[in-house]
Amino acid sequence: MNAFTPTLAMTKRELIRQTRQPSRVIASVATPLLVWAFFAGGFAGAVGSVDPTSGTRLGAYIIPGMASMTVLFASIFASISLIQDRHDGFLRAALVSPAPRWTIAISKISAGSILALIQATIVLLALPFLGVQPSPIGVLGALAALGCISILLIGIGLAMAWIVDSTQGFHGVMNALLMPLWLTSGAVFPVDDAAGWLRLIAYANPLTWAQTAMRLSLGMGTASPSHTTIAWSVTVASALGGALLAVLVISRSKPTR
Amino acid sequence: MSCDQPAICIAAASVTYRTRHAQRRALDQVSLEADDQLVAMLGPNGAGKSTLMGVLSGMIVPDEGVVTAPASRGDLAIVFQTPALDELLTVRENILLAGAMHAMSKRDTLARLGELAGPLHLQDRLADQVRHLSGGLKRRADLARALIARPAVLLLDEPTTGLDIEARQQFWSFLEATRRATPMTILLATHLTEEAEHADRVLLMREGTIIADDSPAKLKATLSDRVLRIQSADHTAMVGWAARSGRPYRETGESILIADADQDLLAGCPDPAATLTLATPTLSDVYSWYAGASASLEAPR
Repeated sequence: MNAFTPTLAMTKRELIRQTRQPSRVIASVATPLLVWAFFAGGFAGAVGSVDPTSGTRLGAYIIPGMASMTVLFASIFASISLIQDRHDGFLRAALVSPAPRWTIAISKISAGSILALIQATIVLLALPFLGVQPSPIGVLGALAALGCISILLIGIGLAMAWIVDSTQGFHGVMNALLMPLWLTSGAVFPVDDAAGWLRLIAYANPLTWAQTAMRLSLGMGTASPSHTTIAWSVTVASALGGALLAVLVISRSKPTR
Repeated sequence: MSCDQPAICIAAASVTYRTRHAQRRALDQVSLEADDQLVAMLGPNGAGKSTLMGVLSGMIVPDEGVVTAPASRGDLAIVFQTPALDELLTVRENILLAGAMHAMSKRDTLARLGELAGPLHLQDRLADQVRHLSGGLKRRADLARALIARPAVLLLDEPTTGLDIEARQQFWSFLEATRRATPMTILLATHLTEEAEHADRVLLMREGTIIADDSPAKLKATLSDRVLRIQSADHTAMVGWAARSGRPYRETGESILIADADQDLLAGCPDPAATLTLATPTLSDVYSWYAGASASLEAPR
């Protein structure tokens, strides 16, 4: 069967749904901006420049972190829609249709990532006002890293949403899994300056490498070519891993009864 | 069981639901063959109707037995107990999505929608979001969704649940017209005897098994032309009288059903306070007759 047509149609469906629920999009962008305002404002006096070599101040430093937080929220919304589809009955129709099951995963990942990138771009627009002037290629690189973060997080989220039956349960799992991933990724502090135990956790966290790739693309820091290569390799590989996880769980696990 | 290319063919399918503390046999060695018929599965909740549909649709893998037809999911469509539509999308968007799920082109889907929208009285509501439609309209839109790819097999899982009488009648008149226009095998799960009357064939189901399988007329004929339904405070005495009457009878919960009944039998009833109804048999009578004392077709609406 031609799987492209159903994938495209379901992706379009997800995007249409978002345009008819603008409050979700607004919440996804507003929350990180508020967090940024409180962090940047609250620590303005206590913290000088976060990166002494480039002189980046906290307000600018945490913008990539806030962009990834936006992606995190958008990914949770994208994943939770699977539970909503199940409760609304739409998922049953998708499961008994001739379209391969993996098209459900791919369409949710595609639509969720498109929306996440649009929202994250709004957050990144603050950078020029905070003294960071990334090149157009740098912005594209940052968006690529954010896209990888989105694919990874939606992939994990869909796999969890497939197993967990309630939105409450899903939120619990997400808070226990995705928030720590984000918090230990160096989104709001430089990993290299963190305590040893936290540094270890951060280096094992794929989101840390995606944050690094994003910051390097935006010109917010320097790294050796090998370090840059590792950051991008881990970022792309974890995105593929996330997508694969969702595809495998949705395709292979027993249907919900 | 061998099937010579019918639309539906299931051989000895069994399904057991298991939880940590218990297991329940939801389907027990059920075999079914049907082609170009409307087959109704009549039974109360837990009779195995939805499980059988799940097996046919591939949503449930049977522990035993095989499903040889429908051979692919492209051959079947399902109308569930509640509409499987996206409430935020318009009717047209939902139908286009359903067509795309069958890899139909947008042009083909819209052409087919044009055929369906008129008889389903949906023409003026295609641009409306589903959440703004009444229950009856949602049902008709859901039927359009199911029929968009011209399925060979249509599974209807209690499709008129929650609909008022007029909406139910509209649903059934459209379905009858569709059947006349296009050969199709329909498997209907219901606990409503009036819906089962539409069928060419009725499967009476209880506790995961098919306890009778015939046309509605033939099933009713097994109880003869007239049955006597008895409700009495002195149930035991009336059972004794039914036994002495020499006619076939069954205890059906709090009632007693005597087949082959007539006015003479009615006149001889020893309990003047008993409630007696002499009537032509209904499918509900037939179900009680076959399913036994504790069985009844609860019909929550």
